[in-house]
Amino acid sequence: MSDALSMKLTIPAASEFVGVVRLAISGVATRMNYTIEEIEDIKISISEACTNAIQHAYENSDNINENKIEIEATIFSDRLEIIVQDFGKGFDLGILGTDEQKEKSQEKFGLGLGLTFVKSLMDDTEFSSVPGKGTTIKMSKKAPVTA
Amino acid sequence: MVMGFSVEIEQKEQVPIVHISGEIDVYTCPELRSKLVEIIDTGKKNLILDLENIQYIDSTGLGTIAYTARTLEENSGNVMVVCTRHQIKKIFQVSGLEKKNIKLFDNETAALKELT
Repeated sequence: MSDALSMKLTIPAASEFVGVVRLAISGVATRMNYTIEEIEDIKISISEACTNAIQHAYENSDNINENKIEIEATIFSDRLEIIVQDFGKGFDLGILGTDEQKEKSQEKFGLGLGLTFVKSLMDDTEFSSVPGKGTTIKMSKKAPVTA
Repeated sequence: MVMGFSVEIEQKEQVPIVHISGEIDVYTCPELRSKLVEIIDTGKKNLILDLENIQYIDSTGLGTIAYTARTLEENSGNVMVVCTRHQIKKIFQVSGLEKKNIKLFDNETAALKELT
């Protein structure tokens, strides 16, 4: 769609930047007149996607200046679409929701529910991952209905 | 980058009450986890988490609470969570955590009453 407005952010894969992304994306969502509850859903979803990349994509490397996460938010007339992409080790998507994944997540004091939250809180999601190349999480929320 | 995160602990009727302010995410969780582990190490059976002044929590925060609850459960203990914000309650419901030894209350008095 030609009239879509897009914003791109690139952050180091470091936990202190998740709050920055959350703030930026909530600014975009506020501009689109989502309700407070919808904005909270979007904030949690974008945080979960970035956290997933930080905790899993680059777990064997400490070089945060090389380990990047790209976030692209696009405002369409009917939705806000957000793409979170890392360039890390990738993972087997089939593991999502399994006991094995929950156990691995608990080792990092997680719940294993981060991407499940994204699915629950957004209207549409699409996950893709290629071993050795990285993971892309695409999510969208329908635009608020205007009177 | 996250402003104003703090964890304060007080004791009421022998029960530790953990007052948390700010945003609980992957950045602030290690500090919260460290404070909760300190309490667990003192041998307390139960604790109250006051989330009334938090603006945000995600699965990393819930994971830390779940870890605390699992540890306290070994001694038949509980984590009592005080929170009234709809969005915070919603994330607890979506996670299914409320079904375990994690109980939600509208205020500190109600949580303490349950324990004493």
